[in-house]
Amino acid sequence: MTRSARPILTARRGRIAALAALALLGALLHAGCAPAASLKLAVKLPDGQSLADAVVTVQSMGKRLGPAAPVHAVMDQMHRMFVPEVLVIPVGSTVSFPNSDSVSHQIYSFSPPKRFQLPLYRGKPYPPVLFDHTGVVILGCNIHDWMMGYIDVTDAPFYGTTDAQGGWAAEVPAGRYEITVWHPRMREQTHSLVREISLEGSDRVALTLQLTKPLRPAPMEGGSPSWESY
Amino acid sequence: MRASCGRLAFGAVVLLAASAVHGAAWELDLDIRAVTSDAATSVLDGGYGPVRFSERQSGLQLGRLRLALEAPLGQVWRVHLDASAWGNAYKRPIGLTEAYLQFRPYPRKDLRLRLKAGAFYAPLSLENRASGWASPYTLSYSAIDSWIAEELRTIGLEAEVDWLGTRRGLPFDINAIAGVFGWNDLAGAALADGGFVIDDRQTPVFDRVGKIESKTGAYTEPFRELDHRAGYYAGLQLHAPGRVLITAIHYDNRADPASADAVSRVLAWHTVFNSAGARVEYGPGWTLIAQWMAGRTEIAPLTGPLEWPFNARYALLSKRIGRHHLLSARYDRFEVDSRNAREDGQENGHCFTAAYTFDPGSRWTATLEWLRVTSNSYSQSEYLKSDGPLTDTQIQLAFRYALGSTPY
Repeated sequence: MTRSARPILTARRGRIAALAALALLGALLHAGCAPAASLKLAVKLPDGQSLADAVVTVQSMGKRLGPAAPVHAVMDQMHRMFVPEVLVIPVGSTVSFPNSDSVSHQIYSFSPPKRFQLPLYRGKPYPPVLFDHTGVVILGCNIHDWMMGYIDVTDAPFYGTTDAQGGWAAEVPAGRYEITVWHPRMREQTHSLVREISLEGSDRVALTLQLTKPLRPAPMEGGSPSWESY
Repeated sequence: MRASCGRLAFGAVVLLAASAVHGAAWELDLDIRAVTSDAATSVLDGGYGPVRFSERQSGLQLGRLRLALEAPLGQVWRVHLDASAWGNAYKRPIGLTEAYLQFRPYPRKDLRLRLKAGAFYAPLSLENRASGWASPYTLSYSAIDSWIAEELRTIGLEAEVDWLGTRRGLPFDINAIAGVFGWNDLAGAALADGGFVIDDRQTPVFDRVGKIESKTGAYTEPFRELDHRAGYYAGLQLHAPGRVLITAIHYDNRADPASADAVSRVLAWHTVFNSAGARVEYGPGWTLIAQWMAGRTEIAPLTGPLEWPFNARYALLSKRIGRHHLLSARYDRFEVDSRNAREDGQENGHCFTAAYTFDPGSRWTATLEWLRVTSNSYSQSEYLKSDGPLTDTQIQLAFRYALGSTPY
């Protein structure tokens, strides 16, 4: 009896364990398949033209979502310009600053989130620079005074830059969010465009964000850099 | 002073050679011109014509041969040497137009310091922004810049403090610039003698203006120190890089107009002026420049003081078409008055200049320039026996070939 009861007990325990495992798997699958909302942005200038290379960050206003995972990014120097001119990275990321020009550059920043200098160099002699505080870091070259680059270090869980059509898209969990659009030549009073939005699961939202003021004019294109000697 | 400058230049060359391995850059430019002109011999060649080339010089001419070197000395020092030949206008076939040492420390917070020592141009020009203090828009400089090239140079020190608003997210920087200099006690003499010109020659440092063997024997040596008093300039700039530059400057060589060279009895010329201007660049390739300058130059011989007030202004409009074509047009007005009995040195005139540059993006460029000067001067009426204003037309086709490492 004792001998026969044991298998029954074992079998019952096995069924319970299997059911528990199934329940756990179900719960896990349910959580994993929680429908994410699709968020599509179109960033426009006041005249309706698309704004490319604008920084988009999406911060959670409800439950705390941590910053996106750090990345390694590259900001090159080509034709005496920073390429790309604008970069957005999660806090804790590193950035390399190779110099692809045949002339030397001397990179610096005195912006509070990251103060650093890279003495005169060509090629790729320095290790990547760590950006461990949030905020906008403005870069310059001490040889070519007109060179300027911008790195937005963000703790937002979702971030990116708009494409040539002014578009940016992401899949985000349901919740309330604050969307911020920033560009170095924006004239908006707050120097950025902010919009709050609530998203339900499986929402497919397409938003158009339009600046109220035109950008400050870009430096003239096509001028020879050596013109700036004087 | 000349000997010490020579030693300075030699030392700089040695330093350049030493640092050539890392970061040094050089440029070698040759500019050949096909010229047609109906003007009299230029003021800068000892005559009375207001443009560079005379009727007799129509044909092929050397525009400029230039060698420039720039190199870092360590991290925050740079040395720059600029030597040019302009044909046969000067004492030496090739001379230094600029030679200076620059201190460029990293900005601290939002302030940037720049120091210069040596011989160089004060920050007066809005159009001459290309390498070698050349204009990218026209071959011939405006009347203002032609005079600066002819008679002015800072042989001394300059300090610039820039407040970097652009690094604070604002659209502009503010630059405060001041210089002290010597060896420019005869600045103004050529202006009072020959008036404004439309030219592109830059008098080499310690060289002279006008030929010693000219009929009149009229030549001046602007880069001399007679009274041992330093001159100065101070100015402010508002600068939105690549878009707007607004500048205002006060300049005074503080020469004692009563002092004279003990041997030659050449007098010092006290020259003081104000200048203001703006350069605006607009994305699709438009550039607009306007500049104004007004001042006076004076001497005080035993017979009594003599004074020549002067003023000049110009407006330039330029349009870049694609990456290869640049069209420019400029209008100059200039005037030299005379406050002495003979009224010598009086001049007034204006000039239209139009230029087209083709830059295929390789080592050579071609520029076609037409200019017409209408001027009425004491010298022309006295020595050329002109009756009323004279009009001179000069057309130049320049081929420029640039060798060297890429610009620094």
